[in-house]
Parts: sequence; structure tokens; C-alpha cells
Amino acid sequence: MRTHKNRFTVLGLLALGALVGLMAYTQQAKPLDPFEEAMRQRQMYLETFGILPGELFAEEGKELFFRKGPSGKTLEECDFGKGKGVLEGVYAILPKYFLDSRRVEDLESRVYTCMQTVQGFKPAEIERDEVKAITTYIASFSSKAKIQVAPKHPAELAMYNLGRELWYTRAGARDMSCAVCHDQYAGQRVRLSPVRSPKQGLGNEWPAYRFEEDKLYTMEDRINFCYESIAIPKPEFYSDVHIALTLYMLAEAAKAGHSFEELPFFTR
Amino acid sequence: MKRLAVMVAGLVLLGLGLSQVSPFRARLEAVLHQGGHEFAQVMLSQDKGQALCSQYRDKLPADLIPGFLAEQKALIKYPQSGKLLGDWKNGEKVFTDPKRGNCYACHAGVASEVAHGTMGPPLTDYGQRGTLEAVVRYTYEKIYNAWAYVPCSLMYRGGVHGLFTPEETADLVAFLLDPNSPINRR
Ligand code: HEC
Ligand code: HEC
Repeated sequence: MRTHKNRFTVLGLLALGALVGLMAYTQQAKPLDPFEEAMRQRQMYLETFGILPGELFAEEGKELFFRKGPSGKTLEECDFGKGKGVLEGVYAILPKYFLDSRRVEDLESRVYTCMQTVQGFKPAEIERDEVKAITTYIASFSSKAKIQVAPKHPAELAMYNLGRELWYTRAGARDMSCAVCHDQYAGQRVRLSPVRSPKQGLGNEWPAYRFEEDKLYTMEDRINFCYESIAIPKPEFYSDVHIALTLYMLAEAAKAGHSFEELPFFTR
Repeated sequence: MKRLAVMVAGLVLLGLGLSQVSPFRARLEAVLHQGGHEFAQVMLSQDKGQALCSQYRDKLPADLIPGFLAEQKALIKYPQSGKLLGDWKNGEKVFTDPKRGNCYACHAGVASEVAHGTMGPPLTDYGQRGTLEAVVRYTYEKIYNAWAYVPCSLMYRGGVHGLFTPEETADLVAFLLDPNSPINRR
């Protein structure tokens, strides 16, 4: 696939730039402000390549979106929350309850569902990277949109309550829960990384390209990253764990009136 | 034979009684299992302290606190030598190691290290408290099991979870208290 190949050559070059940037980042006597550093890197990528890495993923996602599955259908036949074929603003209202799957789904699990039920792929045929790219493409239609996640359906309310419970669950060999870091100590730093609470908009910048890792992260990837960093094995993708936590975080961010960043975002 | 059957029935009933979970709890457990075997296993094997902190959202009711502190204190193990003040040089290694102490994630330490977190109070110049027995003991127990002093603290129970040994805990104490440690010199 052409875009696929382009993406990797460009990213290979970018990785070099990122590495140099990262060394400057950690060798400074005074730590750089991480937001300023991300903006500086973003500018550098734009000037050097004229395109941001996240946009390459979105491009690839677009191609996959219009690819026919074994059933002969493309993802245009999938309802992502506002009816078949509508992409504008759907990411801003997810996770929500879907009648056809009788399940509350976030965008990633919705893509995974429709690739099976609409397009006829078998689960084993669905690559994680493809779901990530398609998610990035669809989320780009909610760039800077106001977050409108508000649980109403009984299944959504139940999912929100489960998310809140997971949020406060302390477990593992680090005794951690999402809440201790992201509520009690929001505004403080772990090492050099500033931590936000849902009320401060936590979760509003995914999917994003993380230059420090040279990888695209979706919300599910980001949740897994935090679980791993607190010594809890990461939950499997498209599970209710991700959906419940995402619903909880984004509903809280919505109550506080937050909007998404430019999507896909560019971050550290 | 009959007696055995009655006993078995009794055990089954007892088991049912004990394992009777609320519908919410049952649903939560199903969600955890969806996350996969390893994830569920860790999330479902909370110890009593973790379960209480989760249940009360990290704010224990006053009447539970004395019992909680006593139970946490009972989890503390001490070095065989009885020495709670070890070797600060090794202490610095444990303090810095992300897999063992990982203390810089949350605390400032040696003044020249700028890549430190701010969630815990700065430990720079901690040695100003002196090395009286009470200070040494408090520091040892705090590091080994932070919850023996502050229930449900963000600071995790590194000693209890075996991230460092009692001897390494004594080395960490020395890193904080020894007047020659770089934490106390500028
Ligand atoms: C030890 C503290 C800690 C714990 C516990 C923790 N996180 Fe994080 N989290 C962080 C740090 C540090 C970052 C990175 C912040 C940065 O660099 O922007 C982060 C980033 C995130 C982000 C993306 C940042 C953003 O602003 O959108 C999300 C989402 C997130 N965490 C969710 C969770 C969830 C869900 C849990 C519980 C499973 C959790 N975290 C547990 C410290 C923690
Ligand atoms: C995840 C964050 C975190 C980590 C990691 C952490 N601490 Fe703490 N620490 C705290 C917080 C928060 C407090 C204040 C609340 C409390 O006392 O529990 C604290 C308190 C302390 C205190 C008591 C300070 C006083 O003035 O009495 C000491 C001593 C201490 N930490 C040492 C350490 C050492 C040594 C390590 C590494 C083995 C460490 N901490 C790792 C968060 C952390």
C-alpha cells in the first residue's frame, strides 16, 4: 500500500529528528517546559516535511475507510453514532450505546465491530494498526469540537458507573489508581510530566502522535500506557475497561465544558 | 453417607452465602475479565488495604483509621541486623532506580537533579531532622510502608511489595539522613 510505505520512510527520518530533540530535552540544566517543547518539535516537523505525522495516519485511515471488506462494503455503511456515513462530530459524542451491537462503544471498538458486522472481516484478520489509522481519520472530523459525552441511556449510565469504579480501584504492586494521580495530585508532576484531571480536560488530545515514542497513540493506547506504568498488565483492546474509563473521563471533561485539541494531536 | 451429604450441602450453601455479590460487583468483575486474564488477576487480587482505600475513595472514616494503621504497621519487616541506618551510597542507587525506589518520580532529592516529580514533599536536606532513634524509625517505617502513617497515601508500599528489601530500606534511610549524603550537602 503506497501511503503505508510513505509513512514509514518519513517516520524513519522523523525519528532521527526526534532523537536529537529528545537529547536536548533531557540534557538541559533546567527542564524545558514540555508543552513548549512539543510545539517546537511540531514546528520543526512542519518546516522539514510540510506535514505532521498524525496526518499521515489519518490519510492511511481514509484509504482503509473506503476499502471494501469481504462483504463488498466499505465503512461508509457503518453508523458511527450520527447515522450511516456521517463522520462530522461523531468522535465528540462517543462512547455511546448502539442498538445494533447492543453495546456501549468507543470509536475504536465501533470500528472493530463494523469491520466484522458490516465488512465481514474475521477478528483475526483485523490489524490493530488499521483500527488505529481508521480511528484517527474519523476523529479528525471532530478536531477542536466541544466534548459532548453525556451518558443518558441506562447502558451508558451503567458504563459510566463502572468507569468511575475502575477509576478509583487501587491495585497491583504500586498501590495505584487513576484517581490518586489524576484527581488528588492533578497539577503536579511525575518526574517532568504534568498530570491533569478529567475536570481539566484529561483525554482531550487523543489520537495523537507522540514524538518521544515516534508512535501514534489512541485513547486506548494511552490508558494502557498508564496501566503498564503502574505495574498492572494492560487490558486487551476494545474491552469494556477502556470504554468505561473513557466514558467516565470524557463525561467529566464535558461537564467542565472542555473541547478536543486539534486532532490528531501532536504531543510528547 | 447421609451426614456427608448434609455436610456437602451445608458447605455449598455457605459458599453461596459468602460469594453472594451485588449485581454491580458481578458486572464489574465481568468487565475486568474482559480486559484479559492477567489484567483481571491483578485487579481482583487487591489486599485488604487496597480494597478499603478503593471503597472509601482514599478517605477512610475516622473509626477505621486506628485499625488500618495497626494492620499496615504489622506488615513491616526489619533487617536481621536490627540496623535501620545503612549505607547511603547504596541507598542512592535504590532511590534512583525506577524499578526499586523510583523516588524521583514524586520527590526532589539531591539538589542538582532537576528531573524530579512534585507530588511528594521535597526530600532535599531531609537530614536536618537529625538521627535520633525516633527519626530513624519513622523514616524506615515510612519508606517501607507509607500507609502505616498516612492511610491510602499516593506513596506506595515499596517494602511491602518487595520492590526493595529491609536492608535496602535501611540504605534509603541513610541516603536521607546521613550528613555525608548528597541529599544533605550542597
Ligand atoms: C502514577 C501516577 C499516574 C497514575 C496512577 C495514572 N496516570 Fe495517567 N498519566 C500520568 C502521567 C505522568 C501522564 C503523562 C502526562 C503527560 O505527559 O502529558 C498521564 C497521562 C494520561 C492520559 C493522557 C494525558 C492527557 O492529558 O490526556 C490519560 C488519558 C491518562 N493518563 C489516563 C489514566 C488512567 C485511565 C489511569 C488509570 C488506569 C491513569 N491514567 C493512571 C500519571 C498517572
Ligand atoms: C508515587 C509518588 C511517590 C513515590 C514514588 C515516593 N513517594 Fe514518598 N511521598 C509521597 C507523598 C505524596 C508523600 C506525602 C504523603 C505521605 O506522607 O504519605 C510522601 C512522603 C514521604 C516521606 C515523609 C516526608 C516527611 O516529611 O515526613 C518520606 C520520608 C518519603 N516520602 C520518602 C520516599 C522515598 C525514600 C521514596 C522512594 C523509595 C518515595 N518516598 C517514593 C509520594 C511518593
